[in-house]
Amino acid sequence: MSTPSKFNLSDSTGLQPFSALVFAWMLLFALPTQAANTPTLKLFPTTVLEDIRHTGSVAKEMESGLQEVISRLDQQQQLIIDSKCEEADDDPGCAQLNKQLGATYLEMLNIMESNLPTMEQAVETTRKSLAKRLRKELGNGMTPWTLQENLLGGQSGKQASQTRPNLRGRSGMRLSDRFSQYYNLVSNSSSSQGSSMAVIASDIYLDMEETSDLIARTRQEISRATLMGQLNQSFGTITPEMQEVVSGVKGILFGDPESEMPLAAPPTTADSTTYQSPLSL
Amino acid sequence: MNSTKALISAALFATVSFTAGCDTQPVKANACIPPQGHDLDVAVSQSKSDLSDVCSFQFNAYLERLMTIAESDPKPANKEKFSEFLLWSNQAGLLSKQQAKSIYNRYFNVKYVSLMGDYNNCSLTCPKQQEVLANMERELLDKERGLVKISRDTGSYQRADRLLKETELVLEATCTACGAN
Repeated sequence: MSTPSKFNLSDSTGLQPFSALVFAWMLLFALPTQAANTPTLKLFPTTVLEDIRHTGSVAKEMESGLQEVISRLDQQQQLIIDSKCEEADDDPGCAQLNKQLGATYLEMLNIMESNLPTMEQAVETTRKSLAKRLRKELGNGMTPWTLQENLLGGQSGKQASQTRPNLRGRSGMRLSDRFSQYYNLVSNSSSSQGSSMAVIASDIYLDMEETSDLIARTRQEISRATLMGQLNQSFGTITPEMQEVVSGVKGILFGDPESEMPLAAPPTTADSTTYQSPLSL
Repeated sequence: MNSTKALISAALFATVSFTAGCDTQPVKANACIPPQGHDLDVAVSQSKSDLSDVCSFQFNAYLERLMTIAESDPKPANKEKFSEFLLWSNQAGLLSKQQAKSIYNRYFNVKYVSLMGDYNNCSLTCPKQQEVLANMERELLDKERGLVKISRDTGSYQRADRLLKETELVLEATCTACGAN
């Protein structure tokens, strides 16, 4: 009867810890210097990515439900303006137009009401998960200096302008398209583009804040209308509050080209000079 | 007789030498007046000469004049000349290393010296977010001078401009998140 050697090198199980050690050692040297210098941001774990994708689909559903009614609302409002009904309260034709406008507005609110709980939940989940990541990674995990180093990300100006997304989703783009773009950017980017990730995460988070605010205001408006119980009379004309809600819904869902945020133009000249001062921070 | 001639010759030689010596002495009448002209190298040289003497208290005026002169002939090489001048100022004891770094980076680097600190953003930057951004905006004006008007490096300036916008966005989101416990 032979006793198995404790240190049998041909035994594959005996080799495992050694191989793992060698592999870990090799990995240590294989790590790029950039990774060693720039902390990797963990702003988009799988759960957050899934939240973004889900919010995008919910927004798409809501858009398709609202597009037709908002378009009708616009046409009716334009008709009232063209017919100069604002100065002709007693005109029966104008009264009819105003009533139709009020009914369409109610229709919009009803569609919103049926879609809002799902949308609200999706937005809230994304907002909370992003808030947690932003607080941990950028708020508590970085100093002001490391933050700007991370934003610069070691990229040259030309590279940066090519790979970074535009700031804030206020470019006349639909909410669902915006989320689709966000999702693609996040899921296709490598961790080395941490700077872009910080901007995208902030962008989405602030979008979520605005959307949450709009949802809260819309729900208040729906509650107010329901409580009044006399909708046909009270919606005879578009009130400033109604106008604000309609504009808000349009701005968030379908984009508002008028509020585009001006951005710095991309560099038009050659890359910066190679001179590096010993005083450079 | 010979000794008299020798004495006269010695006296004449001494007089000539004394007069010639007076001619080579630097004129100090315009001391502490920052350099004029359009040649940055000459101006830097004169500034170093003045500042290393009794004019060190006028450092800011000299630096300002050098920048004005550099603006009249903007080129990438100017960045290096200012770096060298500030390093010399540090070595000459006119500026601390930190002051030299601060001036150089304020004017000639993409990164912002007004966005610095040793503590995390939630506790340090967020309570004075607006003040930090206002300081960065002021610094961007100095970067415009250093990078564009002096060094003709518009690429770096636009990166700095974009960095400010991104910082504004990221700080708004991060500070909201910090307060949303």
